[in-house]
Order: sequence, then C-alpha cells, then structure tokens
Amino acid sequence: MKPVVKKLLGSSFVGALASPLSVDDYLSLIDSRLSLSEPRGRVTHVVRQTPDSVTLEIEPNDNWQGHRPGQHVLLGVVLDGVRHSRCFSVVSAPSEPMIEVTIKRNGDGRVSNFLVDHAERGQLVHLSPAEGDFYPHAEAPRKALLLSAGSGITPVMSVLRHWIARDEVADVVFVHYARTRDDMIYAAELEAMARRHDGLRVETVFTADGGRRLDDATLDALVPDLAQRPTWLCGPAGFMDAAEPLIAARSNETLHREQFAATRRETAHGEGAVRFLNSDVAASGESGSLLEVAEGAGLKPNYGCRMGICHACKCRVAEGSVRDLRTNRVRDVRDTDIQLCIHAAAGDVAVEL
Amino acid sequence: MGKPTHLSKADIAEFGRELDAIRDEVMNDLGESDARYIRNVLKTQRYSEVAGRALLMAGFLPPAWLAGTGLLSLSKILENMEIGHNVMHGQWDWMNDPALDSSTYEWDNTCPAHQWKHSHNYMHHTFTNIVDLDRDVGYGILRMSEDQDWRPQHLAQPLTAATLAAFFQWGVALHDLEVERLGKDKTFKEAAVQLREIWGKARKQVLKDYLLFPALAGPMFAPVLAGNFSANLNRNLWSFLIIFCGHFTDEVEMFDESETADETRGEWYLRQLLGSSNLSGSVPFHILSGHLSYQIEHHLFPDMPSHRYREVAPKIQEICERYGLNYNTGPLSKQFGGVVKRILRMSLPHRRKRNTLTSETSTDAPVYAEAA
Repeated sequence: MKPVVKKLLGSSFVGALASPLSVDDYLSLIDSRLSLSEPRGRVTHVVRQTPDSVTLEIEPNDNWQGHRPGQHVLLGVVLDGVRHSRCFSVVSAPSEPMIEVTIKRNGDGRVSNFLVDHAERGQLVHLSPAEGDFYPHAEAPRKALLLSAGSGITPVMSVLRHWIARDEVADVVFVHYARTRDDMIYAAELEAMARRHDGLRVETVFTADGGRRLDDATLDALVPDLAQRPTWLCGPAGFMDAAEPLIAARSNETLHREQFAATRRETAHGEGAVRFLNSDVAASGESGSLLEVAEGAGLKPNYGCRMGICHACKCRVAEGSVRDLRTNRVRDVRDTDIQLCIHAAAGDVAVEL
Repeated sequence: MGKPTHLSKADIAEFGRELDAIRDEVMNDLGESDARYIRNVLKTQRYSEVAGRALLMAGFLPPAWLAGTGLLSLSKILENMEIGHNVMHGQWDWMNDPALDSSTYEWDNTCPAHQWKHSHNYMHHTFTNIVDLDRDVGYGILRMSEDQDWRPQHLAQPLTAATLAAFFQWGVALHDLEVERLGKDKTFKEAAVQLREIWGKARKQVLKDYLLFPALAGPMFAPVLAGNFSANLNRNLWSFLIIFCGHFTDEVEMFDESETADETRGEWYLRQLLGSSNLSGSVPFHILSGHLSYQIEHHLFPDMPSHRYREVAPKIQEICERYGLNYNTGPLSKQFGGVVKRILRMSLPHRRKRNTLTSETSTDAPVYAEAA
C-alpha cells in the first residue's frame, strides 16, 4: 500500500467514517492481505523436501518489519473455520525478500499436519512481529559451532544463510543430527554450501543408519576446538538437555539456544495446579470451577450468570487441560478463551488473569 | 395456556438432558461451512453499506436516494441483528477471529457493547420473563405483564410504544442505566459513569451519520442526512418489531421470583421455551431478523451460531410434542397482532388467574397445578 494512502486510511477522519468497525474490516473486502497495521502474508511457493515436512515461501505485506537471523514468528492459519496460531523459526536470512519457514509434522498436531498435507499457493497466513534473541549480534564471530537436530535446523540455517549472504563465513562447523538423510530438511542446500565455502565444515549424523548419539566422545571427535567456539544450539528437548552440559564443560564461549516447546509435566486426571499468570498467583484446581478457584485465591474475575450462558467470565488460558463441567469432557487447550464458570482444571492450567 | 400441569421433576430433568444432547451435537459439528456463512453475511453487510452510502451521495436523484437508503437500512439491520447481537453472544468465538470476538466487538448502535452484554446476555437471558428481574419486560416504561402494577401512565402506552419503536436504539442505549433503581440501590455516580460511556458511543454514530457523511457530500448534504436518519429509523422499527414478537405474543408465559428460585437446568430450559415465541417465514426473513425469528431456539441455546437454529427447530418441535408443550410460532402478522393486543390490554388494569407451583416434593408429582 502506498504510504500516502496508508496515512490517509489511518487518519482519524477515515476512522470516524468507518466507526465502530475498523478500516481493516473494509479493506478485507478488497484483499484479505491488506491491513493498516497487521502483518499478514500470502504463500507464494510450496516445497515438500521430505514426506514429513513442508517449506513455505511467504510474501509479507508492508506491516512486516523484518527479522534478525534465527528469530521466530507466530503463524496463524485457518483450519476448518478456526484460526490456529503456532510459532515457527524463520529460515530465510534477513536480506531475503520472502519469509521462508519449514514445518515438520509434530506428532498428531493439528496445525503441523494440516500444513504438511494441505498447504498451497495463495493461502493467507497471519504473521506477528519476529521475536527471539537467538542471534543478537551485529557481526559474525571468528569461529562458530552450529549444532542442531531434527527441525532444530531451522533457526540455525537462518544464521548460516545470513553469514553466507554477508560473506562472513570464516570458520564455521555445522553438526546436524537426523534420523536418515531422507528425513533431513535442507540436506541438499547444506551440501552445496559446504562445497562452495572452504570455511564451512558440515558434519551430519544419521542415527537410524548407525550414527552415534551425541556424547563426550563423539563431540570431542567432531569439534576438538569447541573451547574457542560460541555455539548456536537448537533441537528437541531431549537433545538439548544432553548437549548443554557437554558444551558447558568444554567452552566458556556463549551458548545461544532456541527451544521450541517447554516440556509438559504429566499429571493425573483431576489433579491440577492452576496458575494465574497476570496476578502471579497459584492455587489448587480441586476446589471447583476455575471461576471458584480464582475467587478463592482472592482474584476478582468478571462473571455473570455463572452457568455458561452469558460468556461474561470468558478468560484466556495460555495452556492447560480443562474439563467442561457440563459434559465432563476433558480437552487440552492452548491460547484459547474459555468460560471460567463451567470449566475446571483437569491437569495443570495457566490462566491469563 | 398456563404452565404445564402434567410434568414432574423427573420429566423436566429428562427434557433438559434431551436439549443438552441437541446442543452438544451442533456445537461439536461447527466448522468451515459455518465460518463461510458468517463471512458471507459480513461481506453482504459491508458491501451494502458502502454501496448505500455511495448511492446517497447522488441522493438528490430520487431512485438513488431510495436505493441508497434501502441498502444502508439493510446493512444496519444485518450488522445489528445477524452480526452484532450474535457475535456479542459469543456465537462465533470458536473461530478465534479477532473481528468476531464477543469480548471486543462493538456494534453500530448507540448502546455500548459492554452495557448491552450486561443487560442482555446476562440479565435478560438468565432471568428471562421473571417479572421483577427481567427488565426487558416493558423496558421500565411499558406494562407488558399482569404481574406488573398498573399505573395511570400506562393508559398512554400505545403512544409510548410507538415512540420507543421509532427511537429504539436510544431506548436500548439507556436500558442498562436502570433508572428505576436510582436513589435506591444505585448511585447517581454509577449512572454518571455509564452515561459518559453511552455518550462516548452515541457521539461516534451521530458524528458519522449526521455530520461527517453529509459533509462529504458538500452542498448535496440534505439527501445524505435524510437517508442516514431514515436508515437508522428503519433499523429501529424493524428491530422493535422482531424483538417484541419474541416475548410478548399471546400464550407467552411470565414468571415470578418465587417460582424460579432453585431452578434446575431442565426448569431453566422450560422457562426459556414457555417465555419465548417464534416467527415463521423464508430463509432471507430469518436472516434479516438475526434469526430472532427462532426466539425459542435462541433462548435455549444463546451461544449457538444463529443459522443452526433452522436445523435445530424441527427437533425442538418434536420434543415439545412428546412432552405436551406448546411451541409458540406463527406468521409475523399474527404474532405482532398478539403483541399489539397485549400492549392495549395491559394499558388497562387487568389480572387473570395463573397456574401456580404446587408444594409437592416428590420427583414424580406434577410441578404446576391448575389455578383454583
């Protein structure tokens, strides 16, 4: 959108004409990617590098402020009428015009499976400002270690592409763990990069083909001079839990890490600790509905009919396991608004109250 | 008609369970086609608004004025009834779309969404037709039930009702002020806060419809002003018509506080059914009414996406037949005729015998008994 048009449409005069709707509500009649302030994008290219992944190239609108290497973005897609949001690392370097993300199937995860199976050109995606401090620097270090496993390759690729684009690859070792070569995303691109750049050494370990998992011996063999290398680390929780102490024991250089998901504690049904994030209060979930638990903890959430009709007590749950007291059904929710009066904790719950 | 004297507590509990099952079936089925429906309604509303306002710019030509006013009226009616009222009920929250979120949606009506949600979603839907608790029974100015005390001012209520109809959105805007409580259990300070909120909202519509858009037309402002005023008036009259047919037709039951204390879920469902009435008509008619033509289904399931009431209605009718309950429906002319009769009848002091709660405690004994 031309800046002068954007300025006009964003003026309070035009806002008053659109009131109580927003100008965006009318812009969506023309093109759903248009917005005065929200970053959104359209999928321009879809590649399925492996059977369990999809790589999307996204053209953002002019509300996208760019990103630093290794940052992540909250991608919103509509699936069966419902908008779902998930975090993905931006693989593209900041200098690239399009945003590239690669999504891997995450177990039964609805969004990842939907995108891997059904993502297509022209699809609208909602974006967020890029976040994360995986790579807070202005310049590349003299020596570096990039260490990743599985889908953890995504933020690390972003850092590497950034260095290559600025010709800053002096002495980089890239160690990546995958099950097999066919499972490994960006395998071909990495091989080509290693051929073209003397300063880049790529070591891939395929654990299903006999490659040994990361331990003292393998790390020393692969990266003997780790002591001089700052490290960028990303991978599944188990991999990171194993790698961090090994690296810390060998190097005083900075370890930069990107973790995709906090490990969820398994709790038995019916037990539940309810955390009220905004008030920094915790309570046992056993004393009744979430509304009653909140009130028992001294909080004053909005309420109305207290029977699930008027929606006055609706509150966002960041993540947790809740039971609908009307149907007794339990479901896991994440970033969802629920009515506090008719739900109880069925496991740990984090409420934004 | 009277309250049903043949139903026991056990019957009513089973009735409630059957309704719960119907609700669950629909709510678990929501998906892409529902989302597509509401998106189409949004598009229709916004296109007609843009086209209507554009045509009014040429409103000095009578055909353009008529078409423009008609389209703008359509857009305001759709926005208030099929979109606004339903979105604020939480019917579309499941989509996770910020444009359809009940906690942030603001509608094109002088009534602030926050106050509407309190007086409507909470008070009206929880205390439906309980005479001293549901303030929608007469809106504090009309006598719509024998259980409300008659006062001389009610003699003028046909005129009061007509005035309320013409300025309905303003009546709605002032509704949550609860002026009858002022000086008693409501302070003037509380009312002042609300009034500021109401003015803050109303001011935006007044500015938009009666100042800014006419100003954009320059010397041809008069047709724009007249068109915008007429569109607001048309919306007021239409929504008054539909809304009053929801609870004030013949055979609708009113309740008092004592008979609804300790209400079970099944009894709540029963009161919603007995206190509401439907309108028959075509699908476009239903959409224009915001599906409030399915007032019964709406009161049973306020947060169910409105277009689903159409498929649920035959199931509700079937249940009513089996339980020997009246399913109050009819064409607009008949139902509104009943409303007019009620307004006229209530303008005179009048009381009739009603079926009352029995003092039976067994779950198999009838809950209501014939009036002596």
